[in-house]
Amino acid sequence: MAECSKCGERLASVLVCDACDALQDPASPPGPFEAFGLPVAFAVDESVLKKRLLALSRKMHPDFFGLAGTAEHELAERNTAELNSAHKILADAFRRADHLVRALGGPSEQDERQMPQPFLMEVLEWNETLEDAREAAPESPKRAALDSLETTLQTEREEAMDRIAALLDPLPDTGSPTLTELRKELNAVRYLDRTLSTLREIQLEQASST
Amino acid sequence: MAFLELNVLNNPQDPIIGIDLGTTNSLAAIFRDGRPHILRPHQQDSRIPSVIHFPKSGNPIVGRAAREHAYSHPGTNLFSVKRFMGRGLADVKGDLAEVPFPVSETEHGLLQFDIHGKTYTPQELSALILMRVHDVACQQLDGIMPQRVVITVPAYFDDAQRQATRDAAKLAGLDVVRIINEPTAASLAYGLDQKKDGTVAVYDLGGGTFDVSILSIEEGVFRVLATSGDTHLGGDDLDRTLVEVALEELRPQVGELAEDPAFQQGLRLAAEKCKIELSRAPEADFHFVVPERNLTWHKHVSREEFEALVAPLIERTLDACRRAMADAGLHNDAIDEIVLVGGSTRVPAVQRRVEEFFGKKPHTELNPDEVVAMGAAVQGHILAGGTRDILLMDVTPLSLGLETMGGATAKIILRNSPIPCQQTEGFTTYADNQTGVDFHIVQGERELAADCRSLGKMKLSGIPPMPAGMARVMVRFQLDANGVLIVTAKEESTGTQASIEVQPMHGLTDDQVEEMLQASFDHAREDFDASLLANLKTEIGTMVRATAAHMDDARDRLDPETVADLDEAIAAAQRAADGETDVKVVQRARDELERATLPLAALLMDGVAKQALTGKSLDEV
Repeated sequence: MAECSKCGERLASVLVCDACDALQDPASPPGPFEAFGLPVAFAVDESVLKKRLLALSRKMHPDFFGLAGTAEHELAERNTAELNSAHKILADAFRRADHLVRALGGPSEQDERQMPQPFLMEVLEWNETLEDAREAAPESPKRAALDSLETTLQTEREEAMDRIAALLDPLPDTGSPTLTELRKELNAVRYLDRTLSTLREIQLEQASST
Repeated sequence: MAFLELNVLNNPQDPIIGIDLGTTNSLAAIFRDGRPHILRPHQQDSRIPSVIHFPKSGNPIVGRAAREHAYSHPGTNLFSVKRFMGRGLADVKGDLAEVPFPVSETEHGLLQFDIHGKTYTPQELSALILMRVHDVACQQLDGIMPQRVVITVPAYFDDAQRQATRDAAKLAGLDVVRIINEPTAASLAYGLDQKKDGTVAVYDLGGGTFDVSILSIEEGVFRVLATSGDTHLGGDDLDRTLVEVALEELRPQVGELAEDPAFQQGLRLAAEKCKIELSRAPEADFHFVVPERNLTWHKHVSREEFEALVAPLIERTLDACRRAMADAGLHNDAIDEIVLVGGSTRVPAVQRRVEEFFGKKPHTELNPDEVVAMGAAVQGHILAGGTRDILLMDVTPLSLGLETMGGATAKIILRNSPIPCQQTEGFTTYADNQTGVDFHIVQGERELAADCRSLGKMKLSGIPPMPAGMARVMVRFQLDANGVLIVTAKEESTGTQASIEVQPMHGLTDDQVEEMLQASFDHAREDFDASLLANLKTEIGTMVRATAAHMDDARDRLDPETVADLDEAIAAAQRAADGETDVKVVQRARDELERATLPLAALLMDGVAKQALTGKSLDEV
């Protein structure tokens, strides 16, 4: 456990001391859990995370260091940037799982590029539904198909995320084969997310009257 | 000995003022004694029109006086300079219709207005407005002249537009401590006023731009969840719909004159009047006169007709609202309060559609013209070390990325990421023995880099020869709390490094800013005096006219001494306005006139009060 460079108290977040509010200058960029001072685990309590974000921001946001020297102001910028980047990972279950798989030495997205044939066929079908809906007239059933596709995609995503959560509790050992399995699930979720985001784009375009 | 407790936390010694640099109007505010105050000239409208008048000889005049010239001397005035900030010729074609001066573009894509033989960039023009706003603000501050400012910009402004604003302030001799987003500033003013936690949507329809921001307010922390908008949609465009209607009828009658910028400018001012009237009354007269052409034209416009014209524009604002809500991951019913900002939100159809969209009545207690400057003053107070109770956490409105092989965009920092933030991505070489990599940094949401805004290019060289795909180049994007981007590239195996602070197209280089500053220092004093003189003279004219209008009535009711004093002051002020060139003398004459008119003002106020009370019993009072 790291200690505060000023008062010597044990640090929760490696970016700032909870006891004396002194900004810390960690030797290497911290991981997201260290930045927040949270235990490394897939499950994160959303309300705890938000409280922590606000409390830590209050201690180290650069806006509060206007009267401080350049070095301290820069440290506040850097640490708040680290905090914000860490929050982005921790606040999203997918990014959190992706981070844990990497941190435990698992394969990267590119390492497990191969998706099973039946899944790819499914992806092709979704894309077809999307393209049909994009071109379709307002009252066409092809547009209505968007809503049912959205439900399908969301259900599949929830199921995949449930499997990912189960595989990550307890955390697998470094280099365990479970990590490969996790990466495959995560890559499938990436496909689902890409499709969902295209679907939302089309929905926004169609909600617009101009 | 007792110690005096100094309340240094409340009024910082070196305050930072907030400036709302608007398309149509600009104004400044300061935080004092626990709340933001608008810095307005005595008994005057707080807004300073963002209008510049260029006399054939002499210095440019900014503000109310310039706006008056727009009616009397069409063809010598510039409006809506903000629309040109950080833009190139191709971006602003539609806005040039009512610019009565030739406009060109430099090699670096910088716009230049050729005005009576002198060239001005949009940055220099905005600097003129900022100087005027700063002057007026300082006049209200009893001798303190804060040089440090927070300036607001539309949330959806891109890097080039922000940089241009920053340069304008530098040219005005100001130290920009922070550029903040207008809707976010408005939320600060709102939050401070209401002291309520919750999720707020700020709908900001200004003179030239539209923004919507979704924020969560929690125990003094204002966190922007998402923002969206359109930097080319505002009150000017609402006016434009009426101008088009008029032009259709007028073209056969006036021929080529219809395309004349001065004619178009006059027509838009008439349209603006009609629009404002339509916010108060169900119908209005659209009235346009060009005396020298013997042209009198008018048309009756009903509110329904106007609403039909602007409906598509209002729908465009709602598209942006939908996008912001989707990015925030919220449904419309999650919004607790809607705050309306910008003069154009006075249009009843706008209020109605916003209410329908969010299913909730918008909050209208705050003055939509003043909230942005007030919020900027709050942020200035925080940055001056005045409080730790409030914190603003803003986001970057547009994604930042790199052009990859084949012209696609690889987004590194996604839109609506909280700032400050940093992100590192790994890249590699695509050819054997490749010793350099070119990076093209872009901003925007489009898939192709060519469709995004180009922010700059940099080269990383000195990579040792190795097979394709072996080099590990880490690219780091760092966005600070001001939204300034620094990109660093580093080849891991050798430690070779390159970095740039991004300087966008359509912008000024640091050297250019230096040069312009030097040139303006040489003329600063005379320019400043000349503009102050012009403004003082206009002010005297207004005061003299107002006094004359009431003197006949009041002469008998004032004691002879006061009357004599007043007559003398008027004569002296008139003399000063007619021929005096010493600013100090004119200033003294103006102040003397103001002092002499005080008894008259008191008498008139008294009269109004008596009139209001006439015929009422004491209980009613």
